[in-house]
Amino acid sequence: MNSIDRRGFEASGALDLEGRGLPNAHYIDPDMFREESEAVLIRNWTGIGFGKDVPDPGSAKPVDLLGIPLLIVRDADGEIGVFQNTCRHRGMILVDRPKKLRGVIRCPYHSWCYSLKGDLRTTPHVGGPGHNMHADIRREELGLVRIRSHVWRDVVFVNVSGTAPAFEDYAATALSRWAEFEKPMVFGGPDSVFSLEVETNWKLAVENYCESYHLPWVHPGLNSYSRLEDHYNIEEPGHFSGQGTTVYRRFSDDAGRVFPDIEGLSQKWDTAAEYLAFYPNVLFGVHRDHAFAILLEPVAIDRTIEHIALYYTAEGATAPDLAEMRRANAQQWRTVFEEDVGVVEGMQRGRHGPLFDGGVFSPVMDGPTRLFHEWVAAQITNARRTASI
Amino acid sequence: MPGAPLPSDRPVPAHTGSSVVGRLDDALLDAHAREDRETLVALYAEAGDHELAAGNVDAGCFFLTHAYVYALEAGHPDADRLHAVLKRHGRDC
Repeated sequence: MNSIDRRGFEASGALDLEGRGLPNAHYIDPDMFREESEAVLIRNWTGIGFGKDVPDPGSAKPVDLLGIPLLIVRDADGEIGVFQNTCRHRGMILVDRPKKLRGVIRCPYHSWCYSLKGDLRTTPHVGGPGHNMHADIRREELGLVRIRSHVWRDVVFVNVSGTAPAFEDYAATALSRWAEFEKPMVFGGPDSVFSLEVETNWKLAVENYCESYHLPWVHPGLNSYSRLEDHYNIEEPGHFSGQGTTVYRRFSDDAGRVFPDIEGLSQKWDTAAEYLAFYPNVLFGVHRDHAFAILLEPVAIDRTIEHIALYYTAEGATAPDLAEMRRANAQQWRTVFEEDVGVVEGMQRGRHGPLFDGGVFSPVMDGPTRLFHEWVAAQITNARRTASI
Repeated sequence: MPGAPLPSDRPVPAHTGSSVVGRLDDALLDAHAREDRETLVALYAEAGDHELAAGNVDAGCFFLTHAYVYALEAGHPDADRLHAVLKRHGRDC
């Protein structure tokens, strides 16, 4: 933490932002990054991957969350589970690359084997050569450590601490807001996914996504049809924030073709689209004809990978004659998100200015961003109070 | 330690000694090198069954354990049979 701005660090442990933004330390101080990561990312429902990445029974994908090795597995029943990717025997990493498991998860060290549901199936030679049992090795107590997980809109969320409310309660307001969009959506395929590596703290990507204030300046191409005044703030304190537009215009090709609409949407969505920052680290967008999810992977305090995936109706995702449109739509979004890279990286560099005090918020335009700051501060306050009990 | 099983430049462990195993050495090493689970299951099962037939229960269960592990990993249909044999000899549960 720099010596100028010690705001917020009260003896009580409460983090009071005094109406301003999070202090610089939350973006550049390694000790704060560790504390904040525990309070914000470990104790809440954090996105770590996509269901599309484990498409079939037996699909397994290792992921790293703040150095914690996790394994996403789709079992034979088609259910997605998340485990600590660590053998219960000697702590070996179990799966080191995405793969299709045909049977069990076999530890490459001593070949302890786990079912796709995490049960310990066999412990070869554990009681001596050819003796695969021992009274001290109780298999029923040595299954893989299961991490609490939930899949929503194809994003795999985990609550590593196990202390967050049930996902349905945690996300109740978002689920309610977008109830109309609880329809089967299909990943658009290889041309509908891309990643951006950004030299910024993950929170700045959230903050930028929350508000429409920057649109005319950073995305001037939008001005022709989507003016600033066509947008509205979305503010759900303690849960999510974001922006919406009332002039969504469907993507079409030169022949005038469009993607099929999601069935059953109310008239509002003919021209509306919404973009939610679902706290902490997943950014969603919904439109009448497609949706996307952006997973912010916090690689380091100043480095984030944005994983973007686009979804359509079944026909929209698979129709061969729409393949070029899917590619072009993804490219259009890629262009928009790449336009944001400069500002989120610039804000990260700006946080090294020792006299920056967290900044101020426009009472009109920055409400969604302010809510995110207040939510982060509340998570840290809660974690400190829990720790001091 | 390096994990190549039954390396050909070392003698087969005394409790697993058999001419059949020796004959299978090269085939096993080749199957391991190719990560050919189907072949590994077959070769280890052959070695295990041979040792059991000769009355060498420990050696037999050693090899059948390997066959069983690779069968589990591969989702091989022989996994149930191999498990049943190991269980019958009190080597698995």
